[in-house]
Amino acid sequence: MLVRVGLLICWVVASRSARGAEPVDYVRDIKPILSSRCFACHSALRQRSGLRLDAASLLTQGGKRGPAIVPGKSGESLLITAVTGAEGWRMPPEEEGDPLDAEQIALLAAWIDQGAKAPDEPIPSDPRSHWAYQSPERPPIPNVNNRAWVRNPIDAFIAAGHEKHALAPVADAPKHVLLRRVYLDLIGLPPTRAERDAFWQDKSPDAYRRVVERLLASPRYGERWGRHWMDVWRYSDWSGYRDEVRYSQRHIWRWRDWIIESLNDDKGYDRMVVEMLAGDEAAPTDPDTLRATGYLVRSWYKFNRDVWLDQTVEHAAKAFLGLTINCARCHDHKYDPIAQADYYRLRAFFEPHEVRTDRVPGQADVIKDGLPRVVDAKPDTPTYLFIRGNEKMPDKEHPLAPGLPDVLSDGLEIEPVAMPLEAYYPALTPFVLDETRNQADADVTQAVAALTKANEALEKDRSRVAATGADAAKPDPSSDPALTARVHLAEKQLAYAEAKRASLAARVEAERAKYKLRPYGDHAHWAKTAGGLERHATLCGAELSVLQAEQALAKAEAADKPEDAKTKKAVTAATKTLEDARKKLTDALTKTSSEYTRLGPVYPATSTGRRTALARWMTERDNPLTARVAVNHIWMRHIGEPLVAGVDDFGLRAQRPRHAALLDWLAVELIESGWRMKPLHRLILMSNTYRMRSDAGDNHASNRRIDPDNHGLWRMNRRRLEAEVVRDSMVHVAGNLDLAMGGPEIDQNLGQSSLRRSVYFRHAYEKQMKFLELFDAASVNECYRRSASVVPQQALALSNSALSFEQARLLARRIPQSTDAFIAEAFERVLSRSPSAAETAECRRFLTEQEARLTDATQLTSFDGEKSSRVQPAVTPSLRARESLVHVLLNHNDFVTVR
Amino acid sequence: MNTKSNVRGCTGLNRRTFLADVGMGFTGLALGSLLSGDGVARGASSAAWTPPDGNPHFAPKAKSVVWLFMIGGASHMESFDPKPELNKYAGKSIGDTPHKNVLDAPFIKDNLRIVVPDDANGHIRMELYPLQVGYRKHGQSGIEVSDWWPHLCRRIDDLAVVRSMWTTDNNHGAQLQFHTGRHSLDGFFPTIGSWVHYGLGSLNDNLPQFVVLGQPIADCCGGMEGHRANYLGPEHDGIPLAVDPKNPLPFATPGGEVYREEQQAEFELLDRLNRLSAVEYPDDAEMRARIKSYELAFRMQMAVPEVVRLQSESAETQQLYGLDEDVTKPFGRHCLAARRLVESGVRFVQVFHGSNGGAGSWDAHSSLKNNHAKLCAQVDKPIAGLLTDLKQRGMLDETLVVWATEFGRTPGTQNANGRDHHPFGFSVWMAGGGIKGGVAHGSTDEIGFHAVEQRHYVTDIHATVLHQMGLDGRRLEVPGRKRLDIEFGEPIREIIA
Repeated sequence: MLVRVGLLICWVVASRSARGAEPVDYVRDIKPILSSRCFACHSALRQRSGLRLDAASLLTQGGKRGPAIVPGKSGESLLITAVTGAEGWRMPPEEEGDPLDAEQIALLAAWIDQGAKAPDEPIPSDPRSHWAYQSPERPPIPNVNNRAWVRNPIDAFIAAGHEKHALAPVADAPKHVLLRRVYLDLIGLPPTRAERDAFWQDKSPDAYRRVVERLLASPRYGERWGRHWMDVWRYSDWSGYRDEVRYSQRHIWRWRDWIIESLNDDKGYDRMVVEMLAGDEAAPTDPDTLRATGYLVRSWYKFNRDVWLDQTVEHAAKAFLGLTINCARCHDHKYDPIAQADYYRLRAFFEPHEVRTDRVPGQADVIKDGLPRVVDAKPDTPTYLFIRGNEKMPDKEHPLAPGLPDVLSDGLEIEPVAMPLEAYYPALTPFVLDETRNQADADVTQAVAALTKANEALEKDRSRVAATGADAAKPDPSSDPALTARVHLAEKQLAYAEAKRASLAARVEAERAKYKLRPYGDHAHWAKTAGGLERHATLCGAELSVLQAEQALAKAEAADKPEDAKTKKAVTAATKTLEDARKKLTDALTKTSSEYTRLGPVYPATSTGRRTALARWMTERDNPLTARVAVNHIWMRHIGEPLVAGVDDFGLRAQRPRHAALLDWLAVELIESGWRMKPLHRLILMSNTYRMRSDAGDNHASNRRIDPDNHGLWRMNRRRLEAEVVRDSMVHVAGNLDLAMGGPEIDQNLGQSSLRRSVYFRHAYEKQMKFLELFDAASVNECYRRSASVVPQQALALSNSALSFEQARLLARRIPQSTDAFIAEAFERVLSRSPSAAETAECRRFLTEQEARLTDATQLTSFDGEKSSRVQPAVTPSLRARESLVHVLLNHNDFVTVR
Repeated sequence: MNTKSNVRGCTGLNRRTFLADVGMGFTGLALGSLLSGDGVARGASSAAWTPPDGNPHFAPKAKSVVWLFMIGGASHMESFDPKPELNKYAGKSIGDTPHKNVLDAPFIKDNLRIVVPDDANGHIRMELYPLQVGYRKHGQSGIEVSDWWPHLCRRIDDLAVVRSMWTTDNNHGAQLQFHTGRHSLDGFFPTIGSWVHYGLGSLNDNLPQFVVLGQPIADCCGGMEGHRANYLGPEHDGIPLAVDPKNPLPFATPGGEVYREEQQAEFELLDRLNRLSAVEYPDDAEMRARIKSYELAFRMQMAVPEVVRLQSESAETQQLYGLDEDVTKPFGRHCLAARRLVESGVRFVQVFHGSNGGAGSWDAHSSLKNNHAKLCAQVDKPIAGLLTDLKQRGMLDETLVVWATEFGRTPGTQNANGRDHHPFGFSVWMAGGGIKGGVAHGSTDEIGFHAVEQRHYVTDIHATVLHQMGLDGRRLEVPGRKRLDIEFGEPIREIIA
């Protein structure tokens, strides 16, 4: 073999020489071979065996096995040994690709023999040194010239940028603009008239700070920012075909409520991450905490476990870490130092988890209500890499343990978590036990009552028959055999209910004894008793079924008419049911097993602890990504633009951001404030950066020339309201918003009639409120950043929706003043500002003309279609004109804009 | 995906040019014309860049475009580029046939830009798969068309078939690519419809100028970005309409309790107030877009239900589009609506066929015969009907019809009875709007593998469309947006009449 390869090389080299013996050129001939065939494993990204081939000097330097080449001596060069397979192993390895062809090998050899000459070339930098992979350190606060402008460290960083780029910050926003901005920003609602007045009257230097504090303390804050995080964490109510759940789970709204409550409580972000990923391990018996695991439940997918886990892995990485690890599902990541196996190692953290729905007090039927949550139900399921991402090709030779990409972690310890009994055996939870026993009692009581009633009816009938002097010779004194049948049935039902109650009581005793729940008796005794009583109950049930079937058959036979196929069919069916019931009865009679049935599902007593370990690692002080990613999300939602443009990708494609120092400072600040978000909000909102105007008027030509896109934040960014804020604000300015919090999701089709906040409506695949969708509501599947389009359909939604008409009419009727005062008040309430003189003039003219127009309705043409609004227009033309004016203001560009 | 709309601040646009720019309002409240009274008109500041004025750059041949897009990748060999060699060498590996040189062609390495390297799909398939349908010559031109197009083949002398298309994505991101001209890895860019919308003035102030019919591309493959305008601004986005007069789009009517005159007065006041505000905020590009969006919305709610009211068409016309048959009705309705839209002056109608929420119905990795027979039957008659109808009404001369798909399918077989994605060679055709009829332009090699003669990347189609509309893509540049050469493409002169 070796000989043959050698000959081949000689031949190829000879043939090349024959063509003109041109020297081999590294850039033209060699680098392309290395790049296409070797870089995948031997370059900056993945330095297998410590070897890099992405620069000629690195070949000489070599890796763990020594230099890859010895210039001038191809025969002694490891590279040639490797590609020819001369020593029994070959590069690229068989499973990674075809061998190099003879000409390529010959070129490599010739190049080495000619001295391995190469021009100077830069050595590509090591991806491990990527800025986002280094733990954030608090950078020094820069000294700036414009000290007067600096209110807090954020401003110092921003001002340093201004000075570096010769930008001049614009002035503070006017008071009314700032107030509206901070209200919409923090609570998603514009200020009321009273709130505006209070701010106006508060002349103290602390007025703005007090507003910020009040808003941060408002429960509306959790609703507003809850929706932001619901975007990032992919909140979705259940969806599917009719009643069949295909995505997510029923009652997932409990997770939504947890999000809102946690934000209002200013729970640390670190704790929130732990509770969402591993609340079942962190607080196994606390239903409030268990709600948080809705984060994982949400990815449940009926038809494919791999799709479910793929979604889980992809989005946990994007949401918390800004890692596009999903790119490594089928192959090593193209840009980032993430191997394909890393994708599956991350999956391994989630491999054991499953979804279950726990009972909530007062409702035994978990379809009607319940607590969806996760549990490590399959601790022993191995994780395999899928070759080329194909789930049909698991690499079973190499099961993978939970782990993280090398670049991010040196490995982490996973401690299994022992579960309390109630957590892994939920039927033994006291309230569940109580409710189960109460239900058994209630069943007996009900059966007793039914029997009494049946007996009374029979007695009554017998008395009637006796009174009318029936023929005593008849065997049955009753005139109605159905009444006797009813008594028989009720007796059997009572027997069955009592047997079940007795069986339950014994099974509970047996289980108490088994788990040593004081006070408990002898397990063997109770197990035997429970087994016997359960057999008895089964027997009673079977007898009841037989009786029911017999009675049904008798009824069917009585109703049977010759020639009627339908009644025949009923008889046949009843006969079959009876046969089945008799068979079950025989089974019950012959059953000898002494085992009793458990009280409900029993899950593993130990949880793997994998998800806890992952969450703890994510929220360690040194994690380079988590705090930065969170800070970036928060910053973007206050300022309008993120610090790192790709909010879900902090990988190598994310260049070091312009405001990297600020990002790091804020990340450390978040961590050192106990990961609480409210201090961070406060810091941003109190900065001068936040308080600037968003428009530059005709001035600042220089700023605009240097930085037209405002990357340096020389002004605030203007924003369009998010979908939910548009809808909620419309109802709120009219004073009609229903501020009830929490609870089951509201039908999305009620969005035009229910006045609850938008966050509480159903949000699921194909089940979204149309109005919100038109204003770029979050895509259910993923939405790390909203878009803000301007399209005519939005104009139609705002101008033609029943909701906008109704709210306009209701608000107009609340403002009783004279014309000019009405106009001013309408502007104040809807747009949070006074009208200009020109605006007042326009509106005054409009009111006059509209009133005149409406006064003679015979000249007017109605739109086609039915009357769609619950609040019809006012009858008086002058009031109806005012309603029109308010409706116009709800459609004003300034209404949907934060300046 | 981040789908942030990318509305650029109007750098260098001063207050007056801004106001001159915003449409004419509801009642001719022409602030623009008022301003021209004080000597300010656009173009006076000659150095500053201005957006297109709506006039074509040169005399246009076509007024409107109907863009028919088959989602998933229709087979070129079983439609407009039949290859008898496939039957001859059926079952043979390409390497064992005289056509083995296709495997060494530089296009494979040079053109292909793989997104998902080890995907189960998107590979070269070696075992040649025979044609799954017969074919024959049609019309005076004698162009060969497969038997799955029994109606369309009769219009072949109106068509210019381009048989030498290529693209660079071997996966369904090619759908996005076909509309933006850029590979999906490069991100999102304005689509061809939005360029037409951006470059040309309106023919009808009551309708959106760029309309989307049919379920658009799914999220996997570009989603809404397949008909968006990206950095040209959302006012140039395509607007999806339903062919349903009662509900052509959400919130289409304010309800019977509102008077038309009452609402018009509201919109007029709104326009005045927004313009007053616009004076305060000259940099606010979204404001400008919103003012325009209200103007359009107001008129749309009147005009749109009417234009999609297909009942007003004669029974004969409805039959022409196959509205009387279940198989052809859905796409027939879209084609007929497209004609009505074009007739009313809509510039660009983008009609999608074959959305299935994923890669698209035409994606016949297996059972190609059943799949394509079924899908061709859905679109053949409606498309032929559209061409016939346009011609009868004398509209075909100024209506450019484009039939396209994101890529072709492999000459080799996949999954025993299917074909894989094939970006190296495929077919597109155009008709009307100053395009030569009865032309087969360019070619693939004998097994339909590579486009070999007169090769065209997807933007050559864009350039041809723009050219027929009187536009030069290179003169539609936007400051600060550097475009690549490949984005412009070149008009296909050989098929232009």
